Amino acid sequence: MILFRHECRLLLRQRLTVGALALLALLTMAALAGGMAEVARQRAAIAAIPAAHAEDIGAIADYVDRTKDAGSAAYYSFHPTWDAPAPLAFAALGMRDISPYILRVRALGLEAQIYDGETFNPELALPGRFDFAFVLVFLAPLFVIALFHDLVSGEREAGRQRMLEALPNGGRALLRRRMALRLLLLWGLLCLPFMIAAASAGVAVSAVLIVVAIVAAYLLFWAALAALVGRLRWSSVANAATLAAAWLVLVLIVPTLANVAINASIPVHQGAEIAMAQREAVNAAWDVPREATMRRFYADHPEWADSAPLGPRFHYKWYLAFHQNGDARVADKVHAYRAGLEARDATGRSLGWVLPSVGVQALLTQLAGSDLAAQLAYQDRIRAFHARLRAFYYGYLFRDRPFAKADFDRAPRFKDVPRG
Amino acid sequence: MPPMTDPILIDDLTLAYGTQRVLSGLSLRVPAGSITALLGGNGAGKSTTLSALLGFTRAQSGSIAVCGIDPAADPDGARRHIAYLPENVALYEHLSAVENADYLLALSGERQPRDAIVEGLAAAGLQEQAWDQRLGGFSKGMRQKVAIAVALLRRVPVLLLDEPTSGLDPRATADFNALLVQVRARGTAVLMVTHDLLSAADIADRIAFIEAGRVAHEASASGAERFDVRALHARFQAGGAKVAA
Repeated sequence: MILFRHECRLLLRQRLTVGALALLALLTMAALAGGMAEVARQRAAIAAIPAAHAEDIGAIADYVDRTKDAGSAAYYSFHPTWDAPAPLAFAALGMRDISPYILRVRALGLEAQIYDGETFNPELALPGRFDFAFVLVFLAPLFVIALFHDLVSGEREAGRQRMLEALPNGGRALLRRRMALRLLLLWGLLCLPFMIAAASAGVAVSAVLIVVAIVAAYLLFWAALAALVGRLRWSSVANAATLAAAWLVLVLIVPTLANVAINASIPVHQGAEIAMAQREAVNAAWDVPREATMRRFYADHPEWADSAPLGPRFHYKWYLAFHQNGDARVADKVHAYRAGLEARDATGRSLGWVLPSVGVQALLTQLAGSDLAAQLAYQDRIRAFHARLRAFYYGYLFRDRPFAKADFDRAPRFKDVPRG
Repeated sequence: MPPMTDPILIDDLTLAYGTQRVLSGLSLRVPAGSITALLGGNGAGKSTTLSALLGFTRAQSGSIAVCGIDPAADPDGARRHIAYLPENVALYEHLSAVENADYLLALSGERQPRDAIVEGLAAAGLQEQAWDQRLGGFSKGMRQKVAIAVALLRRVPVLLLDEPTSGLDPRATADFNALLVQVRARGTAVLMVTHDLLSAADIADRIAFIEAGRVAHEASASGAERFDVRALHARFQAGGAKVAA
């Protein structure tokens, strides 16, 4: 313990080291504060949904009540869905900053609604948001390099190495002690603010323990790499340059190239193309004989086949039927798109076994419920809700039941799954 | 009671770096309470001898012992008995003299209170106003005094010095030599690798000339009769020429 105190004093007397540690603490706290602010913003937006929804419905309810037209109710009323952030989302925002976490849907064609909202901000998608995961994956290795690159070479260049090694316990034991101290400091500066933030966010203890273990393992990897380079007996400058190059390769270049390779080997169409195809199918339906549209719809949904035949005037059940036919037309594309995304994601995750930066990022977003799987699970919940919404409105439209103001209260409500 | 042996005992030591033989049957002993100066040309094997004593290098044959411990087999065990001063004593510039000594003593597992440390620094001749100053502005002589203070405080039986007076002015050299005499008086076996004939002639009890990896000539001072510096110089020149050849 005394030796650790001595090493601590030695380390903290170096201005550059103190500066680096202070900077890491600052970056960690800023990233956590930024992540928590973003999550709070998302929660506030979600909390505001019921009032906004009530206002929306109120605006059309009087009109619908006068006409008793279920078609107008289905067409004009939007129904909110949302994907509440998990308690750990503040640490790794993942896809939450590039994919929508609130989507208002109507009982019309769903796919265009889902993929119209697939906003994609390339500026955010490239480096990711400045969150705890970013600090850990991208920046923490630089601090490991700063503190470890001259651990041995620095002593050699200062002319102290031989004298230190001539002391009992001055050789490897000293090196191990210094490495342990530096690792402990870096780990503490990353994990202590994280643990405070996690406690205030109500993150489960098990999740916190997993994250701090991930941090330790990732730091250990970089420290081991630095120790390995240090064994080559190069100068401190050469060590730093080599480790910086390793950082560039392992954190930026290889993951980027791997991403390009994965995207090239698993081609996936953009979600907007699905939206476009669905819209084209819907637009084309205006020129298709109405009987043909209904035949096709009833073939897929025989439960409504006993509905009264269409009259000469416009009827919303025909309109909603060709919307649903449009969804059916793009169903294969939707499955292919999803399968492609999942295949890319799985390949990327398997890359994490050899690229620690990718592995850590994948683990953190998985724990934080902000990865692709969470995003697709949200889409599944939207689809399930939308199916209930359709069934609700179809019950009025296909049975020619009048829709009154009070019926809005009977409409299905989206329920989010609680995240632990 | 086991028989007292010399703290440094080297017998017929052979050591090579790869194919290059550096020590070829070197034998040397340094009794307690004595100073032995090891002289020789560049590449003669002086520093390698120190490395072998510190356990940094392993000999191919022969034996070497520091207070009865083979440094190659038990480096930490041997180093517990050794204080070593390299040619350029480099300490931590952002620590004070007291803090440096405190740190080095702690590393050696021989931590001492501040009073003892400043006593050691004073005994090594470091002025009081320098005790709590950071080493950034210290001269080589002052740094050596800090390192010697650590050696004094550790009370180790063996002191190894590598070119201790190189770069020191005559006054600082004289101060340092006086300090070594004090160390010897405490019963320490001092082995000093040096090119400084005057210092060696002045304070050493024994001078060993090392040539081509072995002690080629050994001279002892007896009582008040000191070494003949002219003769030493001639010997040194001859050895150097031989090494160079």
